[in-house]
Amino acid sequence: MSAQMYQRDPRAGLFLGGQRTSGAEIRDQNVMACQTVSNILKSSLGPVGLDKMLVDNVGDVTITNDGATILSLLEVSHPAARILVSLATQQDKEVGDGTTSVVLLASELLRRANELVRNKIHPTTVITGYRLACKEACRFMADQLSTKVDKLGRGCLVNVAKTSMSSKILAADDDFFAPMVVDAMLAVMTVNPRGEKKYPVKAVNVLKAHGKSARESFMVKGYALNCTVASQAMKTRIQGAKIACLDINLAKQRMHLGVHITIDDPEQLEAIRARESEITLERVRKILATGANVILTTKGIDDLCLKEFIEAGAMAVRRCRKEDLRRIARATGGTMISSLANLEGEETFEASSLGHAEEVVQERISDDELILVKGTKVVSSSSIILRGANDYMLDEMERALHDALSIVKRTLESGSVVPGGGAVETALSIYLENFATTLGSREQLAIAEFANALLTIPKTLSMNAAKDSTDLVAKLRAYHNAAQAAPTSDPKRKLMFYGLDLLKGEVVDNREAGVLEPTISKIKSLKSALEAATSLLRIDDSIVVQPEERGGGDDGHGH
Amino acid sequence: MTSTLGPALMGPMGGGKGISDGQFSDKGKPTEVRLSNMNAAKAVSDAVRTSLGPKGMDKMIQTSTGEVVITNDGATILKHMAVLHPAARMLVELSQAQDIEAGDGTTSVVVLAGSLLGAAEKLLSQGIHPTTIAHSFQKAATKAVELLNDISIPVDMNDRESLMRAAATSLNSKIVSQYSSILAPIAVTAVTRLLSPVSSNVDLRDIRIVKKVGGTIEDTELVEGVALNQVVISSAGGPTRIDKARIGLIQFQLSSPKPDMDNQIVVNDYRQMDRILKEERQYLLNLCKRIKKTGCNVLLIQKSILRDAVTDLSLHFLAKLKIMVIKDVERDEIDFIAKSTGCKPVADIEAFTEDKLGSAELVEEFSQNGMKVVKVTGVKNPGKTVSIVCTGANQLVLEESERSLHDALCVVRCIVKKRALIAGGGAPEIHLSRLLTQHAQTLKGKESYCFQAFAEALEIIPTTLAENAGLNPIQIVTELRNRHSLGERTAGINVKKGIISNILEENVVQPLLVSTSALELATETVALILRIDDIQFTR
Repeated sequence: MSAQMYQRDPRAGLFLGGQRTSGAEIRDQNVMACQTVSNILKSSLGPVGLDKMLVDNVGDVTITNDGATILSLLEVSHPAARILVSLATQQDKEVGDGTTSVVLLASELLRRANELVRNKIHPTTVITGYRLACKEACRFMADQLSTKVDKLGRGCLVNVAKTSMSSKILAADDDFFAPMVVDAMLAVMTVNPRGEKKYPVKAVNVLKAHGKSARESFMVKGYALNCTVASQAMKTRIQGAKIACLDINLAKQRMHLGVHITIDDPEQLEAIRARESEITLERVRKILATGANVILTTKGIDDLCLKEFIEAGAMAVRRCRKEDLRRIARATGGTMISSLANLEGEETFEASSLGHAEEVVQERISDDELILVKGTKVVSSSSIILRGANDYMLDEMERALHDALSIVKRTLESGSVVPGGGAVETALSIYLENFATTLGSREQLAIAEFANALLTIPKTLSMNAAKDSTDLVAKLRAYHNAAQAAPTSDPKRKLMFYGLDLLKGEVVDNREAGVLEPTISKIKSLKSALEAATSLLRIDDSIVVQPEERGGGDDGHGH
Repeated sequence: MTSTLGPALMGPMGGGKGISDGQFSDKGKPTEVRLSNMNAAKAVSDAVRTSLGPKGMDKMIQTSTGEVVITNDGATILKHMAVLHPAARMLVELSQAQDIEAGDGTTSVVVLAGSLLGAAEKLLSQGIHPTTIAHSFQKAATKAVELLNDISIPVDMNDRESLMRAAATSLNSKIVSQYSSILAPIAVTAVTRLLSPVSSNVDLRDIRIVKKVGGTIEDTELVEGVALNQVVISSAGGPTRIDKARIGLIQFQLSSPKPDMDNQIVVNDYRQMDRILKEERQYLLNLCKRIKKTGCNVLLIQKSILRDAVTDLSLHFLAKLKIMVIKDVERDEIDFIAKSTGCKPVADIEAFTEDKLGSAELVEEFSQNGMKVVKVTGVKNPGKTVSIVCTGANQLVLEESERSLHDALCVVRCIVKKRALIAGGGAPEIHLSRLLTQHAQTLKGKESYCFQAFAEALEIIPTTLAENAGLNPIQIVTELRNRHSLGERTAGINVKKGIISNILEENVVQPLLVSTSALELATETVALILRIDDIQFTR
């Protein structure tokens, strides 16, 4: 193989084992790949966006219109498109909502940038222009468009949740779910050691129970466990519960690997067996001795031990999720115990590690039994039990709920909101267009394109709603232009909060109508869309190295 | 311009079959070998040319394992390309050498080498002997280094402004250019913290970069102390925040010892079962108590492949004793942690005593933007180390950001090594080119020719800068020459505005060492390639 390298042909100096694509071609390729990805998502943007049905190679079906979920299920191989996928996942992780719009925006920015580059504007100039535009946009959004939540009160939170749900399966029942989401989120507020208020989304326990209609879903003040009591003979309702959260296997004690039991007397066999169960029984008695009447464990409970519990009138639940138990322990003021050993080397169970709750009860919901821990002592907790006609629907409802929860969390933590329904994008677009004309350099063109790219959101929104997008967006732009041209005290300033009402096909004041989104989510999505577009735009060369040949070389695994 | 670059199967000498015959005469004419080598090497330099300078572009490389890398760092690009030709590989190694020596200027060194080879090719065709060319080039390089020393501006390590400018110049050519105002101070602070008044070098291993996906590059921060990638184990309810920490670093495990495969523990009485269970508890408890006794409240445990570092039981004990546990500390992190916290690694419980512990004001697990990082701050008697938590929106951006930060650190280190700065933006190259041309006129014979060619080859840097910025290279370079001959030694290409201006006023400066090392390394490699007149393939 070595002689191949020895040649005079100058092109053969290209020494690579692979393919190289450069210049305009690679840029076109990247743009095309991103366009393809965003075209898939396009039709699911907004309240009238439609869902996708995804079937994977095993035949599992997912129905969703959540951008991040769609993209994570697609098998994307083009490296540029993969960047968009990771953009959506990151948005999902950090903000929780707006995954579709961030992808649409990024790919639109990229497409327009490519046009500029074709017109002989250097990519780095475009990037500088975009950056400038983004910075100005974020500033304008924070200064002019956002409204403090305190001013708007709880209704605002409900509206934010409604806005997030409006594009999802929950849209029809948003007046039912939105207050539920807000209550749930407010219930799980914690203050961390640095004095910051935190709203952990995970603390809201979402359970799915097949059957009945979505409207019969309900929220429980307390923690719901998707488990049942270990034995039918146990009580299913305990008042004034003392809860022990265990991470211990309450089954017959087995010796470790490497320990051999050798006996020479058949009598001994029975003694060993008895001892094996006795070790566990002793533990159970120790726990019960402290007055515990609800025992939750992540591992199993032997039938043998069940008898003890039943006799003591306690409720025992096995195979709980560890995450659930940790939350219950925190909510009830108990500690999760992974071993009974104390610092003297003996086994004890202290009453101080018990948690307290007013009531623990097993309830039947559809075919399933759930255990509800109500009235937890330390922190209040909340669980939402979703009902729905089929599993796909439940899955999609859960995703929608998750998005709404995250959005409420963002709103609570950041404390300001902006009007939705394309209002922000239009306002920014008008503002940036005016801003662009104040600049005398090449960046002007890039900023103008950025402004235009933002319009893709209202355009797609109205297009999905089967409205005349040209007409609507033109009207919206006129409103916003009037608003921004008006002096500060002019009542026309209010037009700044106008956005689209897609069901009626009108332009309305979205702040009044309660179509709101947290400012932080808009800013984040603008910034990360820009970052993704920039990193792709800077590429002018792509080298694909040939995959290593199978069995090639002397790796010792010749096929 | 897609082209299949797979190794062409038909070489002029008839492919690989001949080798095994033993009849194969691989001896082409020496010129042919030389030209082939040069072409290959020039192709490498062409490949990275477009990445030079603040308006340079990035490359997206899909490696043989399917991993995608986006970068404009010369050394990284070349490292990931499957370069096969032996002469071309020399250039790859050249950029790596520059990466080690200076850390920055890895693209320019390759571009420079490519241009020098082009010049050499012309000289060869004029019938000048390769060794003469090689020799004269090296002399010219020595002369150039001297000239560079003359125009350099000495810099004091306390002059943060200058250091910052140099770091920012390096960052300006990367994806992270927009964040140079954030990253440059971090790089400068990190390196200057490690400095003592007498140090002439800085070990970059004392700067630990922890990469975390999440947030944006803006969230990158410097931690005076240690930042750890690992998370605190809180499954047994142990603390995640410790004030007034006493840190212990152990290299043994807190789990029950397993007997060897051959050995068995034999139980033949039921009472013994209790004892075994109790012994295990006692054993672990004993270990944990001894750790607690020394006052330790933060425990770092080295990763082990033999045994679990901790078991549920020992975690339970440690949590009860209010000791924070971090496991899976890598072997190569031990030294750094030991150095920065002042604790000594302990391989056996017997040796675990109070004097082995390090102290810190606070050890806390932070969680933001969906990432978790443990920070140790307020270390008493800190060693000379710092940590940087590097963040980015996705893996690709993050890695490029880390590489850029590394370059910026190297730039600052270069100034530590050789405390002088020179102007950037193509100014030094034009300056050298002009003076070397003048010098060539004082020489006689072939040497004069070679000096002339060397001087012209240096102009590749300003030319490429102008080209990448979308400016007219001929116009820019001639104007630059003109300005220099009028005595403006610091005139350079202002890429942002697309004009020639005093580059020092634009704060574009680079360390002297980067330029001198690039010149020396490139010339040496070219000389080496020139001297080759034959390739023999051996099995």
